[in-house]
Amino acid sequence: MERSLVQLVCDAKCDGPQSLRSAARLMSIMTDQPQRLAELLANSRDWPQPRLVLGITGAPGSGKSTLTDHLATEFRKRHPQQRLGIVAVDPSSPFTGGALLGDRVRMMRHATDPGVFIRSLASRGRLGGLALGAKGVVRVMGLIGCDVVIVETVGVGQSEVEIAQSADFVMVVLAPGHGDSVQMLKAGLMEAGDMFVVNKADRPGAAQLHQQLLSALQTSWMARLDLAHPASDDVHRAALPSQHPHGTKCDLPPDGRFENDADFPPIFLCSASNHEGVRELADAIEAITARKADDWRAGRHQQALEEIRQAVLEEVRRRVSEVIGANGASAVRTLPVLTGEVSLKNLVDEVMQESVSRASRADRQPGTQ
Amino acid sequence: MSAVRKARLLIGKPGLDGHDRGAKYVAHVLRDAGFEVIYTGIRRSPEQIVDAAIQEDVAAIGLSLLSGAHNVLFPRVVELLRERQAEDIVVFGGGTIPPKDVPKLKALGVAAVFTPGTPAREIVETIDGLLGARQAV
Repeated sequence: MERSLVQLVCDAKCDGPQSLRSAARLMSIMTDQPQRLAELLANSRDWPQPRLVLGITGAPGSGKSTLTDHLATEFRKRHPQQRLGIVAVDPSSPFTGGALLGDRVRMMRHATDPGVFIRSLASRGRLGGLALGAKGVVRVMGLIGCDVVIVETVGVGQSEVEIAQSADFVMVVLAPGHGDSVQMLKAGLMEAGDMFVVNKADRPGAAQLHQQLLSALQTSWMARLDLAHPASDDVHRAALPSQHPHGTKCDLPPDGRFENDADFPPIFLCSASNHEGVRELADAIEAITARKADDWRAGRHQQALEEIRQAVLEEVRRRVSEVIGANGASAVRTLPVLTGEVSLKNLVDEVMQESVSRASRADRQPGTQ
Repeated sequence: MSAVRKARLLIGKPGLDGHDRGAKYVAHVLRDAGFEVIYTGIRRSPEQIVDAAIQEDVAAIGLSLLSGAHNVLFPRVVELLRERQAEDIVVFGGGTIPPKDVPKLKALGVAAVFTPGTPAREIVETIDGLLGARQAV
């Protein structure tokens, strides 16, 4: 029988030989049964939590894993006493359900560093509840003392963007030579970004991409301001940066211009594989964390409530699926709707009632759990 | 979400040879068979592989080696797993391994060895069998 959640939490928290194994097992439970995040949350009120959960997202091949690897090196150098967590998400095959998780290839130099815990996750499709499972994994990373957790996901597909959005702070990585970068921005990732990185800055086209990105961000910033203010108020428009300090790696203004959410997101030029621009990037992340960590912490209570709501939805979906059957299951229940003998509403009522009675039967027979 | 979720596996290449075609091919085959496969890349130490396997909570580790160091590196991985109290993680291997070495490796705790020419189906079925047996215990 599987060791209980409480026992695993206890083992993970103690610094024994089983600590990391128990933490890893807890993470598996969170991704396999995301609805159990609610249980974990109930036990985790007094756990340490990461100070910063950093989401990194962007098109495939833009260098997210390499950037994550170099940021990890930078953070470890600055805070050798603190553990760092990395959650790396790669897509599952929609055809076989299998996945090849290769982000670790770029991060193997941290593999034997006890201060870095890396966990690869497969996205498991839209209904896999990954967004919720990933939150559980981040919780467990907090439990084992990770001060910073980097969550790296491919910026395509709803669940992946959702995971990124659940981070405190989201960095969008772009690289020159990707015709689809601008397409990706169109698809809505732009709104998710709190910070942008033009990676592979040593390649031709980087300056051009930087310009395109800047102009796209300016447009959206201006539109947002326009909508937020009455027609007569044009003070904010005057504050729009008309000339960008091009060529600089860091354009974080010194006087805290980015103090609220309407701030213009900073853009960085990096060449992650050469560790160029990574130090400046880490500086900026630390500055923002120092300024906002308290707000983020305050927001987590609200987040936890939302996570419980999602856990409820996930559990309901699981129970109802048990009754109605998984994909390709018998059509005994669905066929009568197609032929018009039963209305959809009646089928739903029936399925939900059966689901409730199954659950109460299971409660009466605790041995089966 | 499918009812049966296949296990997580780690495919790694310990040692110094860089011939990763076999490892990548097997990783691909296992992915297509529905496993979640974590690939570590080439030239990893047994320590790197074992630490990664523990963090990833995998059910099995597959090692690929073409340099001839299998008699040292495969048992080293088994030994490290034992040290870390993770001996329930199944270890299998493959590569250019002389048939005469296979019984020795098995005696040292390597559950299966796939030499060149092993049909993909056989690899998948063997791993299914190994992991099924593990769950039944």
